[in-house]
Amino acid sequence: MEFLQFDSGLWQRVVSLFTYDPTSPLTLATGFFLFAFLVFALGYVIVKRRPNLRTWYITLFSLYFYYKLSGIYLLLLGGVALSDYIIGHRVAKRRERGLGTRGWVALSIAINVAILTYFKATGFFVDVLQNIYKDGLLNFEGVAVPAGVSFFVFQSIAYVVDISRGTIKPLRRFMDYLFLLSFFPKMFLGPLVKAKDFIPQIEAREVNVSRDDFGRAVTLIAGGLIKYAVIASALGALFVNPAFKGELGDSGVVALLAIYGFTLQIYCDFSGYSDIAVGVALMMGFRLPDNFDAPYKSATITEFWRRWHISLSTWLKDYLYIALGGNRRGAFRTYINLFLTMVLGGLWHGVSICYMAWGVLHGLALALHKIWLRINPWAKKRGEEMHPIVRFGATLITLHLVAFGWLLFASAQQAPKMGVEDFDLCLDMINRIATNFRAEDIIPSIEASGVAMVIMYIGYVLHFLPKSFNGAVQRMVTRSGFIGQWILIVAVVWIVMQCSAMLVAETGVAAGLPMYADY
Amino acid sequence: MKNTNANIRIAGFTLAVILGMVGLGFVPPFKMFGMEFESVDILSTLRAEDSMAEAMEDHTADFDLLDMQLAAAEVIDTLPEPIPVRYEWVVEHTANERRQKLRSEDMIPALQQYVYFEDFDTLATTRFDNFIAKLADGQSVRIAFMGDSFVEGDIVTCDLRDKLQRRFGGRGAGFIPSDIPFSTVRKTIKRTSSNWKTYSVMKSKDAPETIRERLFISGYLAEGGAGATTRWQSVGAYPTLDSCTQARILLISRDTSRVEVLLGDSLRKEFTIAGDERVREIHIEGPVDDIRLRVVDGSVMCYGASLEGRGGVTVDNFSVRSNNGHAIFGTSATVNRQIDEFLGYDLVVLQYGLNIMQQGQRGYSKYRDQVRDMIAYAERCFPNAAILVMGVSDRWVKNAETNAYEPIGSVDALTSFQRAAADSCNVVFWETARVMQNHGGMPAFVSNGWAAKDYTHINYAGGKRIATALTDAICYRVFTHLFEREEAARIEAERQAELERQRELEAKELLESQINAVAPIIDSIGWSDKANNRDNNEE
Repeated sequence: MEFLQFDSGLWQRVVSLFTYDPTSPLTLATGFFLFAFLVFALGYVIVKRRPNLRTWYITLFSLYFYYKLSGIYLLLLGGVALSDYIIGHRVAKRRERGLGTRGWVALSIAINVAILTYFKATGFFVDVLQNIYKDGLLNFEGVAVPAGVSFFVFQSIAYVVDISRGTIKPLRRFMDYLFLLSFFPKMFLGPLVKAKDFIPQIEAREVNVSRDDFGRAVTLIAGGLIKYAVIASALGALFVNPAFKGELGDSGVVALLAIYGFTLQIYCDFSGYSDIAVGVALMMGFRLPDNFDAPYKSATITEFWRRWHISLSTWLKDYLYIALGGNRRGAFRTYINLFLTMVLGGLWHGVSICYMAWGVLHGLALALHKIWLRINPWAKKRGEEMHPIVRFGATLITLHLVAFGWLLFASAQQAPKMGVEDFDLCLDMINRIATNFRAEDIIPSIEASGVAMVIMYIGYVLHFLPKSFNGAVQRMVTRSGFIGQWILIVAVVWIVMQCSAMLVAETGVAAGLPMYADY
Repeated sequence: MKNTNANIRIAGFTLAVILGMVGLGFVPPFKMFGMEFESVDILSTLRAEDSMAEAMEDHTADFDLLDMQLAAAEVIDTLPEPIPVRYEWVVEHTANERRQKLRSEDMIPALQQYVYFEDFDTLATTRFDNFIAKLADGQSVRIAFMGDSFVEGDIVTCDLRDKLQRRFGGRGAGFIPSDIPFSTVRKTIKRTSSNWKTYSVMKSKDAPETIRERLFISGYLAEGGAGATTRWQSVGAYPTLDSCTQARILLISRDTSRVEVLLGDSLRKEFTIAGDERVREIHIEGPVDDIRLRVVDGSVMCYGASLEGRGGVTVDNFSVRSNNGHAIFGTSATVNRQIDEFLGYDLVVLQYGLNIMQQGQRGYSKYRDQVRDMIAYAERCFPNAAILVMGVSDRWVKNAETNAYEPIGSVDALTSFQRAAADSCNVVFWETARVMQNHGGMPAFVSNGWAAKDYTHINYAGGKRIATALTDAICYRVFTHLFEREEAARIEAERQAELERQRELEAKELLESQINAVAPIIDSIGWSDKANNRDNNEE
């Protein structure tokens, strides 16, 4: 009897390993992925040269990956793919006949925006209603947001709009489109791919991975893991989260350091995960666009948005800013459009005051910078064109503007966990810095969080190293061959596992999803 | 050629990385730069974790459900009652055990090293004070001791019960489930059962919904048709265990069923239980030291029986193996509340944490939040009971290299998180590990034969030490309660006496002043004694 029970328990465990478990979603940085990827890679060797089979193979694996990540929402992904696949063909047909496509494009956008709004804003509206009517009227649970919903919805909108603009032709088979949307490395957190860049890769007869590509992939994955699973996790768990919660005291020094910490954490978390995604895709022979380019090196806010979450800012530019009229309706409308784009971009992160304030801040900054560029013909758009001293000053100012933006962002992120209003938390942090900042606190505060401070220091130093350094590392990794790359990845995975074990020991909470997973 | 290499490389590389990680798994733990590096186990990510963390996901606090269940309990209570909830069988009427009122000198502290209760009741809900007051007044008191394998088999609780019953009265082993899905040894009761299908809250996934929705904090529910039977027999392991005078059998009979109850070999009574969703009690007064329940017809779900005296202290041991306390979220608040209506708990003890502890782990904030939920849950299910959170016990683990045992290094940390939970919920906390450390810690327990060689589980002898200390802590509170009350009474009596004296004095003065006032008049009239005397003299 005992034995039988154990046996059924074992079977249940095996089943549960392969079924969706909301408490341990599959990401690219988990051990389970390593094994799943091995199984995938063994079959991939065979299907690599047969485009049809390859598409099916990768798509099925991607769908399974999404199922492990988000469970039943797999159907939502499939639904979006199907509806926009059909609409895409309708739009193309009408275009060929010279008919208007607006109606169909509007339908696609309406469906996608409705999905996005439902998952993003329901919680907010329920809150509002409940505040008005107090409890009792509505008994509504929060809506769990499907992983990566924004990313596939955005790409799906882009696909239909591109067809209507005539820049691409619709994909012939549904499976190809499903593949485009669900391709597992980028599905969760991007980078957003443009159909125009990706379709040729789907249709390519054979995908090839050169030595250089493989070296670059290994470098990206190793660097991404360090950024995502070591620097960001440790900084967040050891310093940023407790500092925001006030567990490290109410010193202004700690509050300021927490903002610098969050600034580094959110970059490492997001760009690290993106790098892993790009690296994994590259190993399979698919090229995804770069998503980050050392954003804090930017000397102006305009430059920042060309280096931060590049695929999203490009998307916003192509499909929101241009749809609003872009710069074709005079200078004033350009500024307004820029501003509106950023505010909507802010609201997309979540319906709350701080996210909106974040969007307003960036929108204002971008618009003002554009005006500045217009008034001063000598002003430069990018740091590289500036005098080194000017560049240094400008970079410092830009970094602090962005960091202030991240304070708003972090407040919006942390406040719900603490059960306070996000705006109050933000004001509280500012208040701490403004009224309780004492020079004599600096050294003790740094000493008290020694490990986190060392990590932060290393993180910033690595970030500000010249680009040629990255190139040199990549070349070295490429040249080191199979053995060298193997040693590198094994060492990095070992460090990641040690780090996560230590963090669990320190805080009792296992690392969760990437920070950007909610958006 | 080059391309083929590139094609295979992706699979080869992934395989090599996995093999490399498996190889690194053989590197033993080491220390460097003051940091501890563990052995990594990449394969562990494949083993679906049967870790505590995952097991705890089976039951999570759902306070909305709790509200609904409690509301259900209320609604049922207010219904007109065509169907009885209580079936009585009075074989011989026994009067409620009445104790003499205790005085503080009965409670003079005995032990040198006290581990006191840390009472965080800053909201003055006085739930714990009420519990202590009831003990002091000799009223009947019922304790639910919820725990894990640490108290399985009535360890700790048997001595706690014994000591409390000797001091404050009461008899019997308390609640005993009608069946448990595995064999255990419990020295305070003899239970034999057959033909039940029994489910545990820890595996409630395997249980049908009818069972899952009706679990009590005992953690076990047995379902049986005609022929299912359980026999509970008191044993004489402690002097207060036998000669029980009252028994309660708790069961649900959704459709009408017939059960028979036998006391000893001669007394028999059959009950027809009308079908209803509520928990029902068969209440028996008489000689209940050997009691048998048999389902004659139909089907019942039986929680268990309680053997007890009328009045005094009753301690129910609710131990559920590898429960971290989270299993309470898998029990039905409706059932908990209905059974509480019958039994009336005054104290709920939460003794957990042994299974959650990880070597060297110092952060338990997630568990702290769960303990808070447990407390809130228990408070809602048992509205009149005080909650006592017991800290985790001492535990040592074997060092793989030296083969020697060393402290697990996280007892203090977990204790402080449990204390924090009690603090924020305004309930009482008691540091179990301190008691063990006062005795020399786990090594002393093992060398004295008070604990198993696993340096984790104590035995009955070890439990006795903890029960003694816990009783002392309770008695100390009763002592201070009585002492304060006696002091207050003494002061009040003195104040009253003083007032009385004052009043007498004032009355006297008033009288005298009145006498002084009227004296001259009386004199002048010549009615006074003096005047009379003078008159007499003159005659």
